[in-house]
Amino acid sequence: MYEKDGEKYFIVDSHLHFWDASPANWVKGQEEFAKGWIECFHAYQGLGPADTHWTLEHFQKYSVEDFEKDVFTEGYVDRAIFQSTYLKEWYTTGFNDIEQNGSLLDRFPGKLMVNGRFDPRDGEAGLEQLEADHAKYGIKGLKLYTAEWNNGSRGWKLTDPEARPFFDKCVELGIKNIHVHKGPTIWPLDKDSFDVSDVDHVATDYNGELNFIVEHVGLPRIEDFCFMATQEPNVYAGLSVVIGGLMHARPKFFAKVMGELLFWVGEDKMLFGSDYAIWEPKWQIEGFVDWEMPDDEAFSDFPRLGVEGKKKILGLNAAKLYDIEVPEEYRIPVPPEEPAREESAVAVHP
Amino acid sequence: MITRPRVLEALGTVYDPELDEPITTLGFVGSVAVDGGSVAVRLRLPTPQCAPNFAFLMAADASRALWRLEGVTSVDVVLEDHYTGAEINATVNAGGSFSDAFPGETRGELDALRALFQRKALLARQSRLLSEVPRRLGDLHGPEADRCRELRRALGIDASDEAAPFVTGDGVPVDATDVRFRRMASMTALSLETNGHLCRDLLRVRYGEEAAA
Repeated sequence: MYEKDGEKYFIVDSHLHFWDASPANWVKGQEEFAKGWIECFHAYQGLGPADTHWTLEHFQKYSVEDFEKDVFTEGYVDRAIFQSTYLKEWYTTGFNDIEQNGSLLDRFPGKLMVNGRFDPRDGEAGLEQLEADHAKYGIKGLKLYTAEWNNGSRGWKLTDPEARPFFDKCVELGIKNIHVHKGPTIWPLDKDSFDVSDVDHVATDYNGELNFIVEHVGLPRIEDFCFMATQEPNVYAGLSVVIGGLMHARPKFFAKVMGELLFWVGEDKMLFGSDYAIWEPKWQIEGFVDWEMPDDEAFSDFPRLGVEGKKKILGLNAAKLYDIEVPEEYRIPVPPEEPAREESAVAVHP
Repeated sequence: MITRPRVLEALGTVYDPELDEPITTLGFVGSVAVDGGSVAVRLRLPTPQCAPNFAFLMAADASRALWRLEGVTSVDVVLEDHYTGAEINATVNAGGSFSDAFPGETRGELDALRALFQRKALLARQSRLLSEVPRRLGDLHGPEADRCRELRRALGIDASDEAAPFVTGDGVPVDATDVRFRRMASMTALSLETNGHLCRDLLRVRYGEEAAA
């Protein structure tokens, strides 16, 4: 919970990790990739305020106590959603697979949720694993990383025919929130790997059944993402990297990117995610609540974001998607003259 | 005679296709060595896993630009600290194509990808010219307008003085007051600029350098 100027914010951090990228976990022969990946993430942390930077050693592997302090004790987070990221070609036990993330569930009852994943290249075995993960963890969401390397393949698209049975399985099991993370490679390599048109296709096909949360708002293809999201009712903007990577380092561009997102996507479909441990949630939440769209001419075309919008983005929108019950004091009051509509009740019924 | 300034001038004509900025101003040229007719250039990128297709285009374009220098006898372009550096370097220096570098992992060459991003760049560049009221392309001047002409020529879009001053990414003439065009152009410009800043910031952190202007 975060409180500022008499306003109370219920915080759902919809994108974080509990990873192990220490050298002991690097796959033999793949050290260059494992090392490069975590050093790249560490460089991203460099875009946040200097007093929030960690040493590379600490960044490679942090403890449960660090996690508790950074996320819950000092980070204001009420509910945290792990986005499992496997990368088992590079990290022996995975970068942060569902087991690693899930190991924290008992330690913080009621505060953590864990999302699974699938890789269509795993075929039938992958489908069985998805069912098993659902049975064990009751997952309500997945994170898909399309640039993952797998047995000589450097990536996949959501429209690949092999992915279809997996989406159908998600519908069957009630796994309704699909977080999509694009990366630098895909098959075939001559195509733009960051292209989001495959999300567009599957979002249309599964409208009413699955939600697609595009992580880091499709960066570096924010223009394609905005144009697509405005047409697809079940496409959402995950703000990881936007707040962490731009709010401090490039405030003017942060304001413009927020302006475009508010215009095209709208405050009802944007979700806060700290991307911890890349960035700690504390400074991101404090800064975001304080943030105002600049008043000068260059920003006059953009909608403004008020306290209600910030409450939605920081927690209420994600609470709705994940059926998280929000205590009365954090909800946005419904005007008395207006009869309460179903969508005004933020997941009162699970 | 080949000199360092001439090498840098040649490399200044090489654009990051994704950002539409010269690799020289982005800080992607790590070092230049000239020995008689031999030129060796090392390129560096913001992350080890920057997309291999764009990385290949920059390395290949750099090699071609250097071979155009008068008196050049050998060219060595090395993309350093990159996941696919070995494949890219070997292929580029042998004059090979993208599909040679990644056999079985491609369906075609990179022309379509390059054109796609030239269209984005054209849209973005035009957004900075929208305060003017030109009747024809020849009425637009300055570096942004010059780059628009280059991009139009590369895309096979009429770039003569009498041509329409503004076009969609597909080359269809469009009115400067068209709200949708203005909105898409400014958002595309914002996207490219934001990506450029992220790349610069990451490069600076990666190589421990001070912030550039």
